[in-house]
Amino acid sequence: MTSFKNPRFMIIVWLVVSITWLRCEPWVEQFEEIGDAVIYTAEQKSAPPSTVETITVMTWNIRFGAGRIPWFGDSCGDRVILTKDEVFTHLQGIANKINEIQPDVLIINEIDIESKRSAYIDQMQWLLDHTYFNYGAFASVWKVQFIPSDGLGRMNMGNAVLSRWPILEAIRIPLPQRGDQDELTKYFYLRRNILKVKIDLPNVPNFYAVNVHTSAFAKDDTKMKHIDIFKAELDELHEAGAYFVAGGDLNTLPPGATKTYFCLEDRCFGEDVNEMEGCDFTKEVTWLQDLYDTYQSAVPLDEYLTNEERYFTNTSHWDGFWQKKLDYLFTNYQWIAGSDSTHQEATDWSDHTPISVRWGVPE
Amino acid sequence: MKISKILIGLVLFMWGIPCIMAGEINEGDVSLWSSGTAYLLPKDRLEFGIFQPAAYGLSESLELSTYVLPNILMPNLSVKWKHSAIAGYDWATRHSFYYPTPLLRTVSKKGIGGLISPEFTMPHMVAFHNEILVSKRFDPRLLVTAKAGLTFAYTSEDLDERTTIDLPLIFPRLAVFYNTYNFRMGIDLQGLIVRRWHYVVDSDIFLVPKAEENFAFEHKGLIIWRKSTRFQMCLGYKLVYAEYPFGTQWHLLLPLFDFQWARQF
Repeated sequence: MTSFKNPRFMIIVWLVVSITWLRCEPWVEQFEEIGDAVIYTAEQKSAPPSTVETITVMTWNIRFGAGRIPWFGDSCGDRVILTKDEVFTHLQGIANKINEIQPDVLIINEIDIESKRSAYIDQMQWLLDHTYFNYGAFASVWKVQFIPSDGLGRMNMGNAVLSRWPILEAIRIPLPQRGDQDELTKYFYLRRNILKVKIDLPNVPNFYAVNVHTSAFAKDDTKMKHIDIFKAELDELHEAGAYFVAGGDLNTLPPGATKTYFCLEDRCFGEDVNEMEGCDFTKEVTWLQDLYDTYQSAVPLDEYLTNEERYFTNTSHWDGFWQKKLDYLFTNYQWIAGSDSTHQEATDWSDHTPISVRWGVPE
Repeated sequence: MKISKILIGLVLFMWGIPCIMAGEINEGDVSLWSSGTAYLLPKDRLEFGIFQPAAYGLSESLELSTYVLPNILMPNLSVKWKHSAIAGYDWATRHSFYYPTPLLRTVSKKGIGGLISPEFTMPHMVAFHNEILVSKRFDPRLLVTAKAGLTFAYTSEDLDERTTIDLPLIFPRLAVFYNTYNFRMGIDLQGLIVRRWHYVVDSDIFLVPKAEENFAFEHKGLIIWRKSTRFQMCLGYKLVYAEYPFGTQWHLLLPLFDFQWARQF
């Protein structure tokens, strides 16, 4: 009979209790399955409109509050870990712009909630508490307890949707990882996703905001797979009779873009052009054609092609002006004609501009 | 400090008690394999392991120890000094220093292995740790050691808060360099389970009064197979709860193992 005087039994009990008492977290969150996103609520809620004829939708890659700082990973910089003051300054600039444009639904890419590089500031909660938004959904793209490279340390960056109205459902749909990396790099690397959020929009029972941030640097077909899966998700919503606004940083140029090769101008000192990633879009210029053909873009393609520079949303240069369009908004219903704005005046708060547009609420 | 933090130590300690009381009488020489106690190695005995520090009995009242491999990048040395027994309690003090600057400069780099951002230059820094160890065999089956210590640190320049390495074991040990001093206290229990099987259970608490993240708790459990007075191997786990700049977190570090050898000169 098992006894408390049996040392082996007691050691096993002791070990089991010690281990099960823990809240163990994996070193790198794998996100292999479809799962729930994390829901946020503003500390103080403001009453949202109970009836609406149009809503303003906006997408913005906010670069984790790094503003235009020359960060090592994307702009030939040498900065890695930002100060709290730097992050708060950039977040305040972002909040000011949001409060000025007054979107009702905001799609955000590259938002940090617990990352060493951005001083561990929960940017989701901060933005909710410094704007009029009441609810948010967050889906991690890069959740690692400690990245042992370049001093990055702890990381939790993701996609988000902010809304005035309650979020009824928020699903994180995993996208395939890059296929052109060694296993070690891949293990610590990003797990991109689609964030599908059902919003309780007055009088529209089946309304979704869908956020995606596709691969930026893959040299294989990973980005194309991401776009295809994104399109398939939108098709599924459309076929189910839902209305959606969808978009984000697709890291791809519009079909027909005049300039598709940026490697020479994006090259850092001493960098080999052949080793560079995310600067040659030549083979990708048709990848968004299907989306444009099927759904309505906030910036219609013909308008874009008549004045491309006016619609550029991104730059790889910490001190340069916008050089290409990577950010998009699509819907299966209708944008209000001429209501779109590519806010190129917002030069200081990210390496991307926000795009806003008004969406006509179905009667 | 929250009461729950103290309870953590007590709960785990209580779990260890029945295990210990179930043990058989430890008739062994308490001065062998005695690194966590107030006992010193016999004169001219050397003990060393892969992860444990190498220790050498310099005299009947002095013992030297050092982590051998880390010395290449983090020079370190400890001296354990035996004092007269008081009221049946054996006393020793341990005085240590470590100089982690070369190690931290090595891991402040671009690319893989960069635990600290290369945008920072790590200054010269040295820490002096002084602790009291009190051991008593209440019963031949139970050897208890209590310890309490104070660490002082000096840095040639102020450290940037962003250079912390926010990992278990490391963060609490380097916290002293950002805050000048810290306290560390703990309790070790050890003894015989059966035949050649021994155990070690310990709990340590780190307190950094000047820091926002000022508390860490570490608990270790080891099963030891002692082949002879010249070789032993151990297997166990380490449980860590600590406050970090991002919040608090538990870590279970498995497996903890070591091989240790000894030689009498």
